[in-house]
Amino acid sequence: MKTSYKIIAVLIAGLFTAGVTQAQEGRLNLNINYSINTPTGNFKDVIDKTSYRSWAASLLYGINDKLSIGLGTGFQDFYQKYPRQVYKLDDGSDISAVLTNSIQAIPVLAQVQYNFTPQSAIQPYVGVGVGGNLVLYRQYVGEFENSKSKFGFAARPEAGIFVPFRKGGPSGITLRADYNYMPVKYNDLDGMSNWGAGIGVKFPLQ
Amino acid sequence: MKSILLTISAAAVMGLLGSCTKEPLNNLTEDESRIYITNRDSSANFSSYTTFSIVDSVSVISNNRLEGKDITAYDAAVIDALKTRLQQQGYTLVSKSQSPDIGINVSRIYNTYSGIVSYPDYWGSYYGYWDPFYWGYPGYGYGFPTWYGSYQITEGALSIDALDLKDAGAEKQIKGVWMGLVRGSGVFRTQNAANHIKSLFDQSTYFKSGQ
Repeated sequence: MKTSYKIIAVLIAGLFTAGVTQAQEGRLNLNINYSINTPTGNFKDVIDKTSYRSWAASLLYGINDKLSIGLGTGFQDFYQKYPRQVYKLDDGSDISAVLTNSIQAIPVLAQVQYNFTPQSAIQPYVGVGVGGNLVLYRQYVGEFENSKSKFGFAARPEAGIFVPFRKGGPSGITLRADYNYMPVKYNDLDGMSNWGAGIGVKFPLQ
Repeated sequence: MKSILLTISAAAVMGLLGSCTKEPLNNLTEDESRIYITNRDSSANFSSYTTFSIVDSVSVISNNRLEGKDITAYDAAVIDALKTRLQQQGYTLVSKSQSPDIGINVSRIYNTYSGIVSYPDYWGSYYGYWDPFYWGYPGYGYGFPTWYGSYQITEGALSIDALDLKDAGAEKQIKGVWMGLVRGSGVFRTQNAANHIKSLFDQSTYFKSGQ
């Protein structure tokens, strides 16, 4: 695992140093963010622990300097282990177990983003993505797994700032916060909406 | 060339981040892996029983076949722990020839098929491996209420059944009144046997004698 983090650090450093100085218009930009996500609403009944194992990405085409459209995706991993306790089942039986909930989500979104001040040193932006979400739900009763995959609706409004490596350049650092609306239902899971915040890099692919 | 390298780097970062899933099974200790399941006949009055007897060996059931009876150090530890705990619950240990109110069967089950917390008639599958003759009722059938669920088993399980012998003569049937099932890693470790019995009875607070 430590090796993985080192490789990630080296690769991200590589992305930082690969600045290409062109404007956004007519360009395809990739934005990759490490993300921290906190469950909210009913999702907290299943998992209330913040995840430090998520990322978000978008591939956006600049229609003009301010507006870009494209695709958004990501990966969120939520996990929580509950201490041993006795659960009463519908048939009257009692089961003593350590319960573990593990949920992963991969959104695939159509995304639009608006940059308020494309030429400044710090560029605030807002965006929204709407689409679907692949959810892998796994619940372990002790070591015994009950799993289910579902595909459902997802929406991801976000806001952040883009700080180019040099003024007017297309590559730089992004700081962002988003809300992941995911109204998925399965067993005890009634929605897995969450707040996210992260840091990443943006760079053109052309 | 630069954009190709960037894309490859980006894909690699995404892939590595995606591999950071926290795997539940890698974060479970052996103790945490085990589950303890109990169920009972809700019409049974456990305080009405005063005596019990327990089998002197354990039936070994593998892939739905009775392999035979055995008494390993583990089996003996389970039987001893059961004797101790049931006496703590207020029941008197007697030999099976002394007309016990409750008979206790112990089974080790080994199966290879998988499944989780489903209930396809567990007792319906296994009760018959204990000959009613053992309890002095040759020719009688076993009767188990429909609530007795079953669990499909991925590896080994320890199963303990409590039988109502007190009313068997009148009802011409040996009725199951309680079941305890232990599944997970380390189920058959001798040093865990006492803890299995403790866990099963700790969650079955109704299982005590009125005497």
